[in-house]
Amino acid sequence: MAENWFSIANMAALVGWLLLLASPFIPRLADLYAALVAPCLFAAAYVALILVYFSSSQGAFSTLAGVARVFEVPELLLAGWLHYLAFDLFVGAWIVRTARKENISFPLIFPCLFFTFLFGPVGYLLFTGLRVARGNRLWAAEPGVSR
Amino acid sequence: MTDIAYKPEPALGGWRRFSSAEPALAATGVMMLIMMLPTTLALLIEVRTVNGINPWIKPLKFQFSLAAYTLTLVLFARYLPVGLLETRWYRRFMTAVVFAIFAEMAWIMAASASGHGSHFYEEGLIWIALYPLMGLFAVLLTSTTTVFAWHIWKNQSADLSPAVKSGVVIGLALTLPATCITAGYLAGNGGHWVGGTPSDASGLAFFGWARDGGDLRVAHFFATHAMHFIPAFAVLSALIFGAKNRLPVYGASIAFAALIAITFVQAINGQPFLGFLG
Repeated sequence: MAENWFSIANMAALVGWLLLLASPFIPRLADLYAALVAPCLFAAAYVALILVYFSSSQGAFSTLAGVARVFEVPELLLAGWLHYLAFDLFVGAWIVRTARKENISFPLIFPCLFFTFLFGPVGYLLFTGLRVARGNRLWAAEPGVSR
Repeated sequence: MTDIAYKPEPALGGWRRFSSAEPALAATGVMMLIMMLPTTLALLIEVRTVNGINPWIKPLKFQFSLAAYTLTLVLFARYLPVGLLETRWYRRFMTAVVFAIFAEMAWIMAASASGHGSHFYEEGLIWIALYPLMGLFAVLLTSTTTVFAWHIWKNQSADLSPAVKSGVVIGLALTLPATCITAGYLAGNGGHWVGGTPSDASGLAFFGWARDGGDLRVAHFFATHAMHFIPAFAVLSALIFGAKNRLPVYGASIAFAALIAITFVQAINGQPFLGFLG
């Protein structure tokens, strides 16, 4: 069962990434799916897996070996994978939205999206570097509010 | 009033207008409904059983019930006196109530996730210690009905006909004492079955009430839903017997209290509710 849901989840995430690639043409649909619908569906499935299977694990989060034991249960490994899929896609959608707001041209963020898709944090680091290079403010209390 | 201070009231429609009567309870209700999605998924993939049934049926019932409870209170909150929601004691009380609701839900879901029941589970020190605490929280969250009953009753400017107002006040006022009696006895009984098979596998459709013996949850159900049945009757009564006629509402309230008492005694005596249904 876990193997089937793994494949379905990967397909659902891939749809999100394709929508993000097409986001210059369909920004609303891309935002809706990649930032809201898909992460929420992954989250719901994640919660269900944790609720049903977490108590069957002998693992713990206090040691690395304990964490490894958690993921010995295939369903919890699937939950961990859903966590990746959900948050990577969410960050990808955030990159696209932020780039749109800051007028960063889409070809520049393409590599950021590509690496967020494959190696999550790499893409985030690239995008942050890109914003530093452009002299954009990296954090602010609220958009449009000057400090 | 200066021009700067004047702000036209924004036109609120639908949900925003509804929830503005009690935003904290409205948000709590919506979160209970949202939690039904992952809980339903858990129900579908679960392989264990508790008392002969899927352990996620109970959390689902509670999520639905607590959503119905909080959203009904939001519906009634519009008849509270203006300014009550901003008072300090009310804000503290509501913070405690919302905390109690989420604590109950976390407790019930954690018990199901661990593969055992939440109520009447007597293994493990933490679970034993949590049970009476959760009983207190249950009383606390139910006491909102009493607070609402009192303040709606005292509110002379509430936009309610006499018949509906008496139904809302009586329904709300009856909920806490009737629930405390029926649920309190249930808690002391060590389980909801009286005689019959201690399993939920062949219960009444949807409710799951025992068919071959008494089930103390029946009276608890009617007691806690006094806040729904009596106001709903009052709305009907206002349409049929007139909005100023309180008498039918009083009669129905007495009949409903009797129904709670009868189902309670029936369960104590080990008889199933609506036994003829088989």
